Amino acid sequence: MKILVCVKQVSVPGTYPAADKPPPGFRINSYDEYALEEALLLKERIEKTTVHAVSAGPERVTAVIKRAMEMGADQGMHIRYEQEEQLTPYQVATLIASYARDRQYDIILTGVMADDDMQMQTGQMIAGILGYPYASSVVSHEIREGRTMYVERECDARQRQCLEIEMPCVLTIQSGINRPRYPSLSNILRAKQQKIESINALDLPEARETEVRLFSPGIKPKGTILQGTRREKAVQLLEILHEKALL
Amino acid sequence: MRNKIAVIAQHADNRIDPVTYEAVSCALELCAGETSCIQIIVPGDRVEKVAQEISGETGIDTIALENELLKIYNAEAYTSALVTFFRQRAPGYILIPHTSVGYDFAPLLAIKLEASCITAVKQVNGSDGTTAFVHEVFDGRLYAEVVSKTKTTVITIQPGAWEPLGRQPGKSGIVETRNVTVNPGKTRTIAFRQSDYQGAALANSEVIVSAGRGIGKKENLSLIYEVAKLFPRSALGCSRAVCDAGWLEYSHQVGITGSTVSPKLYFAIGISGAVQHITGIKGAQVIVAVNSDPAARFFTIADYCIVEDLTQFIPTLVEEFKKKYGSFSK
Ligand SMILES: Cc1cc2nc3c(=O)[nH]c(=O)nc-3n(C[C@H](O)[C@H](O)[C@H](O)COP(=O)(O)OP(=O)(O)OC[C@H]3O[C@@H](n4cnc5c(N)ncnc54)[C@H](O)[C@@H]3O)c2cc1C
Ligand SMILES: Nc1ncnc2c1ncn2[C@@H]1O[C@H](COP(=O)(O)O)[C@@H](O)[C@H]1O
Repeated sequence: MKILVCVKQVSVPGTYPAADKPPPGFRINSYDEYALEEALLLKERIEKTTVHAVSAGPERVTAVIKRAMEMGADQGMHIRYEQEEQLTPYQVATLIASYARDRQYDIILTGVMADDDMQMQTGQMIAGILGYPYASSVVSHEIREGRTMYVERECDARQRQCLEIEMPCVLTIQSGINRPRYPSLSNILRAKQQKIESINALDLPEARETEVRLFSPGIKPKGTILQGTRREKAVQLLEILHEKALL
Repeated sequence: MRNKIAVIAQHADNRIDPVTYEAVSCALELCAGETSCIQIIVPGDRVEKVAQEISGETGIDTIALENELLKIYNAEAYTSALVTFFRQRAPGYILIPHTSVGYDFAPLLAIKLEASCITAVKQVNGSDGTTAFVHEVFDGRLYAEVVSKTKTTVITIQPGAWEPLGRQPGKSGIVETRNVTVNPGKTRTIAFRQSDYQGAALANSEVIVSAGRGIGKKENLSLIYEVAKLFPRSALGCSRAVCDAGWLEYSHQVGITGSTVSPKLYFAIGISGAVQHITGIKGAQVIVAVNSDPAARFFTIADYCIVEDLTQFIPTLVEEFKKKYGSFSK
């Protein structure tokens, strides 16, 4: 079985409060760690399974491809372009789909959402472009007879959608489905010696929408900010709760 | 101008999800209240009654788009029905509630219609004749304003961002039922079921004390239990991050994919206030938030904001409580 995992490099949480400053640090998108772990668990269960990790972006994103290899991905692919600005999910999906098209992946995994653009589109779009079925926000799955997967999607209000889809397919993985592993020493050493395959994305697909402005909504507290020392705040809070008959 | 905006209704088992009416409100804002520009679409099997109800509420033309393959939601079948329908008259905007159904099929619909796709939209800004859609990025610390470059734009509407359109008496829309051909694709929905984790205890609680990732480690849950013990009847809630880390079971999760709660008091400790979390506490009467980050999103909705390190603040709070009341109330 061949599995492709899409990993995105995102800015480190907590370091991007300003719209006008470049982020000081990057990491692997949190949901993609769950996707990668799912692929590695399948590899452990099913013989002759290979896991490839792909990321699209400028040179710096090779760091997350390396990270994926250190976690256990067999190979890393970099779809390279120069621009620092984010591509839209449609553009990324087009690049990844054209990479994957003739490479016979049985399953393509993505995270349910990118921590930075929060669009929840890329996985579904990769499937749409390739004509594969998909399920988003997957919390459990199982390979059934033949080429069928049984999948459970997490839905609102604790509901689950149970479905069957044919392989090849795309699954977007929700957090909590597993505990992503840390890189092992042997994989770190292996990844050090391995090359990342690189493909230049010469013609970027044209974006269908453009971001015209990024701004801080500003934090406007709605209520009362308790003032004073820690102890004074504690006393005030108890008084407020008492007044409101909540204590 | 007719049929410029299509709203896809969200419904299941003959019940209309109120987010449908929020999407209608957004549609009305986009067309400056001109209801004749809007058409509501109800994909399903035998959904004429649902369509009638929606049209009766809103006074807007509604189409029941029927096929037995649409009886139970399936991304491929749904999209196939909508594509067949829209190919004849592609609207400028297709508005879909950003629910676990909506965000599942919206990107596929956009691909099939060669439309742009903007998700989790919470605001519409218009100036010089261009319409920009605002959605959160970076955990909601920043907002992005996005403009579409295509004739048709697929948009998902963040639940809670618009007030649902209330009943419009005196107005009436036309209800039409249309059979549509559907290609079921390679997806088959077996069922929707309730997850094994129940949240009944939370749904009925008057006081909920809730922990977030900010507690740092599982052992610090003891601090949260101490706060819970201050109240005679309270339940323990948490953010999804706490469940994902394995610190608490998913039955404690509050939010859009967990429990929706409406307690008298919601006490949020070390929770950032992600939109998926706070959508679940819309009904809370009083909200107290403790967070060490003065810019935490929770402070934009909390009634009482406490900027403190929880590991230091909670022991002080408990101490002061004991001074005042002698001991725990339970
Ligand atoms: C489809 C989907 C559905 C989702 N559904 C839900 C849902 O139903 N419910 C839900 O909760 N989430 C849900 N999420 C996840 C959500 O997006 C957030 O990731 C999650 O709510 C974050 O949890 P948190 O606030 O505990 O963690 P974080 O965002 O990491 O926040 C931790 C907070 O703790 C504060 N903190 C740190 N240390 C301290 C300290 N010592 N003292 C005080 N404060 C401190 C930090 O300042 C920060 O604000 C969903 C996500 C997706 C994609
Ligand atoms: N540049 C990228 N390279 C590789 N994978 C990506 C990229 N952008 C998005 N993805 C994948 O698509 C998922 C959803 O992203 P989004 O649609 O932007 O919320 C992410 O979790 C990644 O798995």
